[in-house]
Amino acid sequence: MQHQTDEIDDASGGPAPQTPVLRVAGVSKAYGATIALNSVTLEVLSGEVHALLGENGAGKSTFVKVLSGIVRQGGGALSLDGTPYEPRSLMDARRSGVSTAFQELSLLPNLTVAANLTLPHPLKGGLGLASRSRNEARAVELLHQFDAADISPRSIVSRLSLAQKQRIEIIRAISHRPRLLVLDEPTAALAEPEWLFRIVEQLAASGMATLYISHRLSEVRRLCNKGTILRNGDSIGPIAIAETSDNEIFRMMVGKRSEERRQVASGSSVVRDVAIEVSGLTGESIHDVGFSLHKGEVVGVAALEGQGQRELFRILGGVARPLRGTISLEGSLVNLKSPGQALAAGAGIAFVPEERKSEGIFLTQSTCANVTLPLLNRLSRFGLVSSRREYAVAADQIQRVQLAERLLRLRISALSGGNQQKALIMRVLLSGARSLILFDPTRGVDVGTKQTIYEVIHRFVQDGGSVLIYSTELPELVKLSHRCLVLYRGRVAGELSGENLSEEGLVALATGHNIEEIRSRETA
Amino acid sequence: MTKTSPSEHATAAPVPEASAKATAARSGFRIGPEGWTTLALFGLTVFMILASRLISSGFGSWQQAQAILLLSSFTIVLGFGQGLVILIGGLDLSVGVVMTLGGILAYRWIGTSLVALFWAIPCILLVTGCVGAINGLGATLLRLPPFIMTLATSLIIYGVFLGFTGGQPRGVASPALTSAYTSTFAGLPVILWLLLIFIILATLVQSHSSFGRRLYAVGTSPMAAYIAGLPVRLLIVAAYAISGATSGLAGILLVGYATGATLTMGQSYLLPSVAAVVVGGASILGGRGTYLATVGGALLLTTLSTIIEALGLAEGWRTVIYGLVIMLALLALRENMGIGWALTPKFRNTASRSRPGGAGHKPNKTGGNG
Repeated sequence: MQHQTDEIDDASGGPAPQTPVLRVAGVSKAYGATIALNSVTLEVLSGEVHALLGENGAGKSTFVKVLSGIVRQGGGALSLDGTPYEPRSLMDARRSGVSTAFQELSLLPNLTVAANLTLPHPLKGGLGLASRSRNEARAVELLHQFDAADISPRSIVSRLSLAQKQRIEIIRAISHRPRLLVLDEPTAALAEPEWLFRIVEQLAASGMATLYISHRLSEVRRLCNKGTILRNGDSIGPIAIAETSDNEIFRMMVGKRSEERRQVASGSSVVRDVAIEVSGLTGESIHDVGFSLHKGEVVGVAALEGQGQRELFRILGGVARPLRGTISLEGSLVNLKSPGQALAAGAGIAFVPEERKSEGIFLTQSTCANVTLPLLNRLSRFGLVSSRREYAVAADQIQRVQLAERLLRLRISALSGGNQQKALIMRVLLSGARSLILFDPTRGVDVGTKQTIYEVIHRFVQDGGSVLIYSTELPELVKLSHRCLVLYRGRVAGELSGENLSEEGLVALATGHNIEEIRSRETA
Repeated sequence: MTKTSPSEHATAAPVPEASAKATAARSGFRIGPEGWTTLALFGLTVFMILASRLISSGFGSWQQAQAILLLSSFTIVLGFGQGLVILIGGLDLSVGVVMTLGGILAYRWIGTSLVALFWAIPCILLVTGCVGAINGLGATLLRLPPFIMTLATSLIIYGVFLGFTGGQPRGVASPALTSAYTSTFAGLPVILWLLLIFIILATLVQSHSSFGRRLYAVGTSPMAAYIAGLPVRLLIVAAYAISGATSGLAGILLVGYATGATLTMGQSYLLPSVAAVVVGGASILGGRGTYLATVGGALLLTTLSTIIEALGLAEGWRTVIYGLVIMLALLALRENMGIGWALTPKFRNTASRSRPGGAGHKPNKTGGNG
């Protein structure tokens, strides 16, 4: 099945119909009740660089996993060069001629560059043992061939810069001489993407097919003629990239949902007091971030994966420390050294982390104990907790998050994800903090719970609290927030509020584009 | 992004009938799996003591039961500190040596004086508590694995003993301590009354105090506890400090029981202290277990070793049987807690894994052009 085609294919459409290298027909994948891929159909021809576009959670990562043999599809069919393709593992996929450069780099950090490039089959020396010199020679050859001679084959991968690691990841994927190369956000860390473009174009000319997953439209326009858009697990396309405007692409990525009416009356006329003011905040992945959060306000944060939002939220929650910059609460500067300090500082900042099970709730404890943790001092006399009062308080409070009382006595691990999240939110509310820092609070929860969480947030800000919320779901941000900040490559790329707050606008900013520019260009 | 079926909103698994019935409706208290483990341990202990009549006619008597209680007092006291350390996800391998330290200090400081009892015991608890706190600081600030840190502490302390005592501790066993084991009050040895008070206080601290509740949180998930704003390091150091102090207390008691002190007097109580906690159903990963279950575990293990001793078997066989019974007890008692809890996620994963080969799979036969 892995036959090398020497003829040079012209992706822009030679008259002769050819068998696509990759053909995907109606592929689906569900994790339990969660549908990650509904129906994906696409074709990639020999010599073609095919773009795959989609917002967070559209199913791109799942699709990459299916292609590279990490997960198996639920339904639909894949074929490679006309032969059914059903990889059982990453190695199986590689043998069939598909190799992937992952966004979450898959290098072994404590080994050398040479070892990483030659694994899993290191070259053998005389005694049948792995030969360091032969492997290094092979690595040097690869590094030279792909224009990365500045990286020493003897360096330990963990000491390389992120950009260097990404180049090694890509070179390793290419070194297997694949029929289909899958590049998942390959330029996220690359300083000079031209390096990659040259290599991809060169290999495409020799017949390799490439699936190029990126959110950077400029790169996609530079490299690809055709593309497919993923939206909520469905594929749209193929589209001719050159003939489609940026705005049309954003609209296809976002879909009809954007017509949903916003619930929050935005742009409150009354200027409220500032609850949190952040300026010049710089960390490992954020640069010079500044904004203010007012009392009675919900500020949304939109960003693609890995634009620094995680660090920003963890800094505000007291979990991580910034390198530079200041945070002030109600006008006075604070130094948040721990979440405990954040809770105690000023009117209090409470943080809801993304990893509910490992960082949020206490799995082996009862729901009641989970909820009342911040109240232990108030519920105890002489250091002893009155279990009757504890239960009564918990039973009274959980109605605020519409949690059934009978769940209080159960171990929280027996609850559904949605109910666990409600309990976590309840605990955070009981901490008494007046500012909530919510990192993707509706991730993986059911529709009903989402609605409850929205209501809780509304009530919280109506009572004068303030909320900073990051969500991977743009409609949610549009619906909930008064204003929305967009992070791109660690900086605040822009802020949308009022009528300008739309999903298209957020997508454009989040992918490094300026919606105003696009609009003015279109009207011009 | 993700579509979830609305049925998931129908909340969690229904309350099992049995536990619903066991719910004492008014107080908000019910016998959970941990409670049943404790009852099973106590029941098994009583059963074993009664059954031991079959081995020897002198067995199964009230006297023998008392003797077992006296013998298990050390493990019961040690088990509290060890249990707290295990609860927060650590392990204290220094309890044996710190127990010896407490014993040697009691031997030396208290002597025959009754007054010394009142200053020496708090001092000993303070010293051993500090040793525990050092363990805790090593485990938190230096981030050493707890078993390495506590092992290192115990080696150092042991070396200091050797240097200071020349291998032979000097002193006198306090008659007051000895009388705790020999004199009775209301028909029971005084020590058993003291032990009862200790157990009540310890249970209150572990399961009903805000401090204990925070330890459970730390043990379940240190990161979640940190994010919830708890002083995680302080709580960990406190757990080790308590373990040091209870080890010291156990050493003081042992001087009274054995009327003497040696450099290895505490050594043989290290493993039983861990075993009692684990047999009691606590998770070695932290976050689960109650002190009453540890007490049950200590009683069971002491009964077991007493009976095995009485069988008159060779030392090797005794150890083999002891080991086997501990294994069996663990398997039997973890049925509803440990094993089920550990395996469930795995099962869930296998169940949700999609069938090999997609449903709509058709070999795609498009003519090749190569």
